[in-house]
Amino acid sequence: MNLEAVKLAAANNSWGALFPELMLACIALALLVFEVVLPRKQHRYIPDLAIIGVAFTLLGLFLNFDSASLDSETFNGLLHHDHAGQVMRVFFLLSALLVCVLARVSLAKRAVPRVEFSHLVLVITAAMMLLAQSSHFVMLFVTLETVTIGFYILVSYFRTSAASLEAGLKYLVMGALSSGLLLFGIVLLYGAAGNPALPMHSANAMHYRDLAAFLAANPHNFVASVGIVLVLAGVAFKIGAFPFQIWIPDVYQGAPTPVTAFLAVASKAAGFAVLLVLARDVFASYAWLVIPVLTLMAGATILFGNIAALTQHNVKRLIGLSGVSHAGFLLLGVVAAASGAAMATGAVYFYLFAYLIASFAVFGVMTHLAGADDSDQELEHYAGLAKDNPFLAAVLAVGLGSLAGIPPLAGFMGKLFVFIAAFQAGARWLLALAAAGVAISIYYYFGWLKAAFFESLAPSPDGPARPERTPVGFAAGLALSVLALGSILLGFYQGPLGQWLTLK
Amino acid sequence: MPQHAVLVLVLPLISAAVIALFLRRAGAVAATVSVLAATAIATIAVILALHGERFERSFEWLRLGGFSVSLGIKFDDLAALMLCVVGVVGLCIHVFSLGYMRDDAARARYFGGLSIFMFSMIGIVLADNLFMMFIFWELVGFSSYVLIGHWHEKQSASDAAKKAFIANRVGDFGFLLGIVMCYWSNGTVNLTALGSQHVYSTLIPLLLFCGAVGKSAQLPLQVWLPDAMEGPTPVSALIHAATMVAAGVYMLCRIHVLMVPEALNVIMWTGTVTALYAALCAITQNDIKKVLAYSTLSQLGYMVAAFGLGSLPQLDERGRMVAMAAGVGAAMFHLTTHACFKALLFLGSGSVIHGCHHEQDIFKMGGLAKRMPLTFVTFTIGVAAIIGLPFLAGFFSKDAILFLAFANNKAVFAVLAFTAVLTALYMIRLWKLTFLGTARSDHAAHAHEGGLTLTSPLVVLAAFSILAGYTGIYPKVFSGVFELIPEAHGSAHTIIFATSLAVLVIGVATGYLLYASGPADSLAQKSPGLFGGLVALKNSFDVAYNYYVAKIQQRFAMLLNFLEQIFLAGLIIRGLAGVVGLFGLGARALHTGNLNAYVYWFLFGVVVLWGFATGALAF
Repeated sequence: MNLEAVKLAAANNSWGALFPELMLACIALALLVFEVVLPRKQHRYIPDLAIIGVAFTLLGLFLNFDSASLDSETFNGLLHHDHAGQVMRVFFLLSALLVCVLARVSLAKRAVPRVEFSHLVLVITAAMMLLAQSSHFVMLFVTLETVTIGFYILVSYFRTSAASLEAGLKYLVMGALSSGLLLFGIVLLYGAAGNPALPMHSANAMHYRDLAAFLAANPHNFVASVGIVLVLAGVAFKIGAFPFQIWIPDVYQGAPTPVTAFLAVASKAAGFAVLLVLARDVFASYAWLVIPVLTLMAGATILFGNIAALTQHNVKRLIGLSGVSHAGFLLLGVVAAASGAAMATGAVYFYLFAYLIASFAVFGVMTHLAGADDSDQELEHYAGLAKDNPFLAAVLAVGLGSLAGIPPLAGFMGKLFVFIAAFQAGARWLLALAAAGVAISIYYYFGWLKAAFFESLAPSPDGPARPERTPVGFAAGLALSVLALGSILLGFYQGPLGQWLTLK
Repeated sequence: MPQHAVLVLVLPLISAAVIALFLRRAGAVAATVSVLAATAIATIAVILALHGERFERSFEWLRLGGFSVSLGIKFDDLAALMLCVVGVVGLCIHVFSLGYMRDDAARARYFGGLSIFMFSMIGIVLADNLFMMFIFWELVGFSSYVLIGHWHEKQSASDAAKKAFIANRVGDFGFLLGIVMCYWSNGTVNLTALGSQHVYSTLIPLLLFCGAVGKSAQLPLQVWLPDAMEGPTPVSALIHAATMVAAGVYMLCRIHVLMVPEALNVIMWTGTVTALYAALCAITQNDIKKVLAYSTLSQLGYMVAAFGLGSLPQLDERGRMVAMAAGVGAAMFHLTTHACFKALLFLGSGSVIHGCHHEQDIFKMGGLAKRMPLTFVTFTIGVAAIIGLPFLAGFFSKDAILFLAFANNKAVFAVLAFTAVLTALYMIRLWKLTFLGTARSDHAAHAHEGGLTLTSPLVVLAAFSILAGYTGIYPKVFSGVFELIPEAHGSAHTIIFATSLAVLVIGVATGYLLYASGPADSLAQKSPGLFGGLVALKNSFDVAYNYYVAKIQQRFAMLLNFLEQIFLAGLIIRGLAGVVGLFGLGARALHTGNLNAYVYWFLFGVVVLWGFATGALAF
């Protein structure tokens, strides 16, 4: 590369537009420096520094929310900044904050390095924030791989646990496979769009806008359509849509609970942020292909997730499979968005936020109930929770109620908005299927609540004792209270969040 | 000022929440919190009313497509008056409860219930649209249910609570239908918006009136109110005499713009018949609270009839028949005075019951005038006010109603005048048997006056019962209501005055002479046929409803239950659950944990997607 090219690139770069990501990266590096510099006694404060750093990044993001770089492209079109990107940045920062809080509780029980954990969470968060704003397949792939590689480490973070290692290996193999599919898809699209024989071919075919223009000019190109379905398959792995959901229960069960939460919420949301842009904008002229594929995926995902969750006794597998069904409901929203329903995009974002709040409430309770073996979290362990710790039981009830979509909690409103959008888009059959899915889901969510609130599942005295419950500390207690209250408040009053989400 | 209105609404909710969350075992603290809240409410209510600012504020709560629900406050003279009545009477009753419920084990629940009631009632008063009113309408029903069943270990109390709730639900169903229809045909349920523009309809006001029939216990849903006397006496005073049951009348006044002559006719006759029926029933009652309950029914009938009457002959500027507000004025005037003297009477009866160690049978009382002088004097003022003794509160408001009836419908006038005779008769009967003569039981012989918390509300309410009738003493801020009160002039004035005097004299004389201070009902002895007839009349509704419930509804329900057990629970639920469960087991079996198998899943997925891309699969 000669100097002129570097100068050209530098003129197009505006690092200021990336300040939250840069800040996270700096904090992540600083954490490692602190570990070296600080005496060993003070190492336990370093994860708290990560929490404070994320909180300040969030604050900085809010202060610069309507920054000048909105609705512009930076880094030669690698990134496109818009309102939705800002929303997703907030989403990932919130997730990171909560994951760090949960990790304080979870990692304290085990002899594992804690600084590196925070470091990885911050790096992954920064990558996901870039992923949600990417407007170029190279950017997409690089950030996606950053996220995935980070997760390979996090999933097998409990190195002494066989379950955690097994989960890590499975995630590695499946992730590599799906990355291969994605990459193959990207290459096919690049090849098709770079073909000089076709109209609107482009030298910069990895760029979303050029690719969309090419696809619009060639609405039935075979190579492009194969590329599209392969890209969709790669993204479907991230969100855990049928038939690429099969890894979920094993990996979720083996991963440390905060990582499971991170995977279930943030990684899934990143997938949806990408999928929304791809399905709605980039592949818009291939709606004849994308909509049936996504519709079928959504229906199968809802059915499979809910039905498979029915018979689970391990709560991590249960929440994993219920998360699969949530991916199905979100796909319903994506189908609606791809079909042009006006409120669908806002509905998907609202659903994601409601899902974040409710999921972290539930994962927070799970973290406090997990014992020495993090993968061994059975429904039976919840017996008598309401009596022993009414606070955790109440948070669990609100979280599960919101996930199940019980009015008037936030999850209900999220489902309602998505269903209305799907109705506007005319996806009637899918809607009926989704309603059936909701009915089934109530069964297993309430089975969980039953275990916590009624004595019917009292453990047999000669069976293995349930793991010791962790007392709720200040930070975790505060976070859980805010999450539970948030689920209730957002159920009653969505005005400001709704406006903020749908703002263009 | 709007923030004060919000404060007055939220205060009791905070009080109830604090009691429910933290003070469930601390009865004394809970009572203090609740009474302090009531004091603040009364103070702010009076300040709000006197300040004279009238406003409307609302914000959107929920929007679904074109449908939106808003929450808002409409604070006009009508709301100001009602808020003052609720606040001031509520405060008196909170204070009275302090003494009356002192030894109750579940005091915290009681005071929490009172606070949640105040919240719901103030919500009805301030609501600026029918949806919001309905929400609080139901909350009022719920708090009434909780408070009637306060002594739920008593079977009769929990039955009465259930009965009240169900009877109210029947009415509320009509109310809800009315709201939905109103929204459907007018596109709004905001009271002010409806006032300026609405569709002419007979059905909508009648359906909305159903709500009032349930809440204000009009025929044929009156059955719950006498039974509701199972609740603590202060509750009967607050909810089942002064405020909640009057909410039906208040609601009618709020929606008077929607009224049409046909609907008003129905409302008028419902009120008139209820007034007469309840007065007839009251004559046969032995229980001091039940007499007052039937008297409440009768007076509510007066208010409803007044509302129906006053609105008949008016044309608005567009030449349409609309509700003339004279009905609103007369009904609200009577509501106000009635709230004062009926709360006084109930609290007086509470004082008597408290003094007689929870004896409620008037034939086991007697001679209490000497032992409970303060209660006697205040109760006497209450009786004088309700029977319409000149220059007391009831006299003015009843005359306003009688004048309206005289001007608009002579038949209704005759019935209401006759009802007034009966009112004087049964109230004198109650008064004489309770306070005069000699004690007829040990409890009555050893009756004693209660403490300051019991007597001071009586004195305050007695003062109101004397003064509330003089419209001149009300500040100008209520003129929006009080200007509407019809006033008789000239010969009509003479006729009305003569009638009410004659009615009063006949009723009082008959009552005083007929009833001797003895252990048995004089009417039952002298004319068993008439007495039996009245008892049968009173029982007729309960008998009919019981027959319907036991013989028709219960059997239908049994049939449904049978079908439900077999088809729904048996085949569909169990069957479906079984099938879904099987699929679940199948899905579980798919998760083998084997990585090779998982990779084949991906392969399968890619093949299917490839099929879509090539067009081999179509959807």
